[in-house]
Amino acid sequence: MKRRLNSKNPASLIIGLVVLAILAIAILGAPLLAPYDPVAQNAAERLEKPSEKHWLGTDRFGRDILSRTLHGGQTTLLSSLLALCAALAIGLLVGMAAGMFHGSALDHILMRIIDVLLAFPFMVFAMVIAGLFGTGLVHLLLAVVSVWWVSFARLTRSVVLHAKNETSYAAAKVLGASNLAIMRKELLPKAISPVLILATFELGTLILSIAALSFLGLGAQPPAPEWGSMLADGRAHFFQAPHILIGPAAFIVATVLAFNLIGEGLRDRLDPYEKLEL
Amino acid sequence: MSSDNRAEALEVKGLQVAYEQNGRRTTVLNSLDFKLGKGEILVLLGESGSGKSTIAKAVTGMLPPSARIGGGSLRVGAERIPDLGKPGIPWERIRGRGIAMLFQDAQSALNPVMKIKDHFKESLLYHGLASAEGAAAISVAMLERLNFKDVRHILECYPFQLSGGMCQRICLALALCLEPAVLVADEPTSALDTVSQKEVLDLLRKLQREMGLTVLLITHDIAVANAVGNRVIVLNKGVIEEEGETRTVLTRPGSAYTRELLAARNRIARPARGLPPAAGKPVLEIVRLSKTFGGKKRVLRQVDLTLNEREILGILGQSGCGKSTLAKCVAGLERPSEGRILLRGADIGHLKGKARRETSKRIQLVFQDARASLNPGRTALQLVQEPLQYLRIGGKEEREALAAYYLHEVGIADEALTRRPPQLSTGQCQRIAIARALVLRPDILICDEAVSALDMSVQAQILELLQRLQRQFGFSILMISHDIRVLRAFCHHIAVMSNGSFGERKQESGRLHESRQPHTQLLLKCAGDMEDGLV
Repeated sequence: MKRRLNSKNPASLIIGLVVLAILAIAILGAPLLAPYDPVAQNAAERLEKPSEKHWLGTDRFGRDILSRTLHGGQTTLLSSLLALCAALAIGLLVGMAAGMFHGSALDHILMRIIDVLLAFPFMVFAMVIAGLFGTGLVHLLLAVVSVWWVSFARLTRSVVLHAKNETSYAAAKVLGASNLAIMRKELLPKAISPVLILATFELGTLILSIAALSFLGLGAQPPAPEWGSMLADGRAHFFQAPHILIGPAAFIVATVLAFNLIGEGLRDRLDPYEKLEL
Repeated sequence: MSSDNRAEALEVKGLQVAYEQNGRRTTVLNSLDFKLGKGEILVLLGESGSGKSTIAKAVTGMLPPSARIGGGSLRVGAERIPDLGKPGIPWERIRGRGIAMLFQDAQSALNPVMKIKDHFKESLLYHGLASAEGAAAISVAMLERLNFKDVRHILECYPFQLSGGMCQRICLALALCLEPAVLVADEPTSALDTVSQKEVLDLLRKLQREMGLTVLLITHDIAVANAVGNRVIVLNKGVIEEEGETRTVLTRPGSAYTRELLAARNRIARPARGLPPAAGKPVLEIVRLSKTFGGKKRVLRQVDLTLNEREILGILGQSGCGKSTLAKCVAGLERPSEGRILLRGADIGHLKGKARRETSKRIQLVFQDARASLNPGRTALQLVQEPLQYLRIGGKEEREALAAYYLHEVGIADEALTRRPPQLSTGQCQRIAIARALVLRPDILICDEAVSALDMSVQAQILELLQRLQRQFGFSILMISHDIRVLRAFCHHIAVMSNGSFGERKQESGRLHESRQPHTQLLLKCAGDMEDGLV
């Protein structure tokens, strides 16, 4: 049998955290670190290759790509974290309610809504929202959140259903705990750690999706910098100046990778099934 | 056959095992030696923490990663392993054909998505002992040998369609197909009821007689040791206290520790006495209670039962007879399908919401697995306050004082008040669970197998504690158990349940043997046979 060498190895967690810390410092410190104004245009320096003056080159309006990437990270990261938190909250709430009242009408209705959302292509859904309400970052986030809570709700529900078979749940009931007290004291603490682990994995996908939707022009509007829309911008000049894509692409990859590593590390630490070993 | 010219089937020398967790090292076995002769049943008898299961894991190479083997050699038949601590031991050669294992939970030892016949096929093909067709023939022969009726049907079943006792006998058949030199059985019957327990143990003896089966049987139960063991090793904290012929060790124990173990068992086996009379009005009346799951599976059929004030009533039954469902219905965890549950005349079977929660003050339940019923993150003092918080009784200081009082009453020392379940023993956890149930001053305490997971000495302590508390506070107890000894020692009356109903009214516990119910007689006989010869 293959030994799980990484099962107690914190390397992935540490690497992930270090990468994330560096990215966070760079992005949060953008106003201080960025060499130029991210929206300042300079017609004389269009599509320049990376140089000492512009480390990552310039785009078609002569804007410094490094500055734009650092500033753009604020929008991308902040909006993904915001969307994630909202989705987490909705997912936990819905999952707890469905699991607690398993088999009831409420459970059936919630689960069917989830099925529909899961069956519907997310990108199309986001475009429908944009079509209805217009483009813009807020509408993009609305679209993302309205679909993203589904996986958290599913996971929470299954954890709750599992916990309801445990002695501690029966014990709380016999001791006279109300449903609300049981959910708060017995079920929520059990659901939190697997849901958080899933969240770190989902965050990577979420960043990619927001970038992808911005790339399609549904998210942040020019001239505000955002990783996805920067990629979309560079697309037209890909053959002349491929370096335009390097900055935002590298940052997206690094961020997603960092969150995945953290998720993997957390799973190894918190996974209840790992604890079954003595 | 004298024991001298017997060849050894298994020999363990200088076995040393420690567990390391969070940098703390706990030695479990310290230089242990023992031999197992061919065709012998050797019993390793010990309480939890004696290291008996560690031995089973060490000789099969299944110790968890936290275990550190300090040394020790193993010989199984012709196979010799000079140092168990070194990597690269050819376990795949030893396991199965050298040493076969029988686990406590047979049902989960089998793969739930595989039919029984596929289990046989897999194991025979893997070891290259038969072709696919040959495997079918071998499995039929083996199951017939193990007293199975309707073998063809059983081979087509999935494990979850069979009872725990049947699964254990199938595991035994699977192990024997490979003709192992030694069978290591780790508490093979502790999860079974008295009747299945006896079946499995009788089978082991029969196979020993007929095939010369060699068994290393690990148990905490003196009656099991008595029923099957040729020789017994009494283990205490990783050290051999005593070793010898079973009869000799159990009737004329040489070590003080063995005497203590036997005394604890006798305290439980002694018939009830010193109980205050159970005269009183009925507090709980169950009238024609039925419970059906999923519209078809009838678990309880028209059950009638009356529990009086200050009465200790035992409900005896095999696993799956419906006794736990009855407990759940009374405690409000399950809703009865038909019939009524009257608490002092008022029906509590169909209450909802707040009204149901109010009955928690009158009826409390203590679970078998005390540790699992306690939240591991809370201290003893916090745990006992839980019901008071849930039902909004008293202020902060009052709750804490009440919790401390009841913890003191159940014998939890002051320094343990701030400890959490992982730092407490199983016995202490059960004491805390009892305190938590009593803090509401209930009229009825239901104990659902509350002592069956405990060591013999702890069992005796908890039963004595319950007896004292019952006298002091005057509540009634509904004691649910599969263990006839416990009920006879502890209860005023016993009602025997089988297949979802009581065959007859409750009997005085001292006069259970007068029952004319064949099922009751069978239970009494099985328990009696196992104890046969014990003082």
